[in-house]
Amino acid sequence: MTTPPLRIVLAKVGLDGHDRGVKVVARALRDAGFHVIYAGLWQTPDAVVRTVADEDVDWLGLSLLSGAHMTLVPRVLDLLREAGLGHVGVLVGGIVPETDVPKLLDLGVARVFGPGTPLDDIVAFLRQPREVSRA
Amino acid sequence: VLDDLLRRFRAGDRLALSRLVSLVARGEQVGAILAGVEGPRQPARVVALTGSGGVGKSTLTGRLIEQARQQGQTVAVLACDPQSPLSGGALLGDRFRMPARPDDGVFIRSLAAAGGRGALAEHLGPLIRLLEAFGFGVVLLETVGAGQGDTAVRDLVDVLVLLLQPETGDDLQWEKAGLLEVADVIVIHKADLPGAERVEAQVLAMLALSAGAAPPVLRVSARTGAGLAELWDAIAARPLRRGGPGTARDLLRLAQEELADRFAAAEAGRQTEVQALLGRWQRGEVPPARAGGELLRLLRD
Repeated sequence: MTTPPLRIVLAKVGLDGHDRGVKVVARALRDAGFHVIYAGLWQTPDAVVRTVADEDVDWLGLSLLSGAHMTLVPRVLDLLREAGLGHVGVLVGGIVPETDVPKLLDLGVARVFGPGTPLDDIVAFLRQPREVSRA
Repeated sequence: VLDDLLRRFRAGDRLALSRLVSLVARGEQVGAILAGVEGPRQPARVVALTGSGGVGKSTLTGRLIEQARQQGQTVAVLACDPQSPLSGGALLGDRFRMPARPDDGVFIRSLAAAGGRGALAEHLGPLIRLLEAFGFGVVLLETVGAGQGDTAVRDLVDVLVLLLQPETGDDLQWEKAGLLEVADVIVIHKADLPGAERVEAQVLAMLALSAGAAPPVLRVSARTGAGLAELWDAIAARPLRRGGPGTARDLLRLAQEELADRFAAAEAGRQTEVQALLGRWQRGEVPPARAGGELLRLLRD
């Protein structure tokens, strides 16, 4: 049997209206065979987690260019765990200072992709087999 | 694992619903899942929105969610978007035009529709029954963006809403004839734009040519909100079509679904006779005129 396509939600959280980057990533993942659910701009952490729940995805990609990543990303991670969605892998993309990257990884983010990341790197990372234990 | 999911589903667990929706959407264990969840309950009102791309199906779906919620009804949405025939990937961008505020009475799932299957994802019939079993009062189905003759959706739903918009007038009578025939409600969407009256007049003129009762034609604007309440009333006024005695076509469709499931199971389970036929077929050793019949014989009970 062929494996079903990986599903990923891409979202912008908080007050950040710049969506060019996330749309480029959405297109690249689609072309690589992913099912990409684009949740759009100005999402609250609650709304993102609800989308992840209803769409039953393998991955959540958060795009932040606003500098609010150390506030919003931990909030999303907490809410995911509270909702029984700790098995969903979380990626962060956008403008994240290097000093914050290890902090985000410690909190449970799988990977942080900065500007200039080759799209193929993102695809290759998402295709790596993961150990998933569902709630 | 499935038993556990079914137990949680029956207890109203939303994550269990979400997992089961995924399984059914992929055609896995459909029979066992439906057998495990179905019981006597209030039938849902199943409404499909169709119309060409860009006509405003997602936006209007979002506004109809609000209408239904105001009336105290719970809503599930199945939003179909096309899947790339090359990569199998899909960009599912419907839900970002719908209300983002989390609401326990609203469930939205995006589905990819493979090419060649018309305007719909696969397994929609079982998916609708699953959502109905969870207790949703309204199920909204958004098509990929239907074209000419793409009318299979009508068999799955109670009310088929066709969206048209201004400045599609010239090719209207050629392209939409098949859809006008099967629509239960016709919406002239983006009615705040110039030209809406003209499209409405053209539609009414075409409907006047056909025999039988004409469906209501309503001017609606999701942007201004004009006509939304009237649209919801028109939808609610339609009798429920599903659940009654079925047509011959319904029976054929059920048999087709069953056949597809059996073939998938035989293929996945490496059933030797089916594998052998498949091998001969792929080597070009079975003439097409005989191949279908041979497969049917192998897939018999």
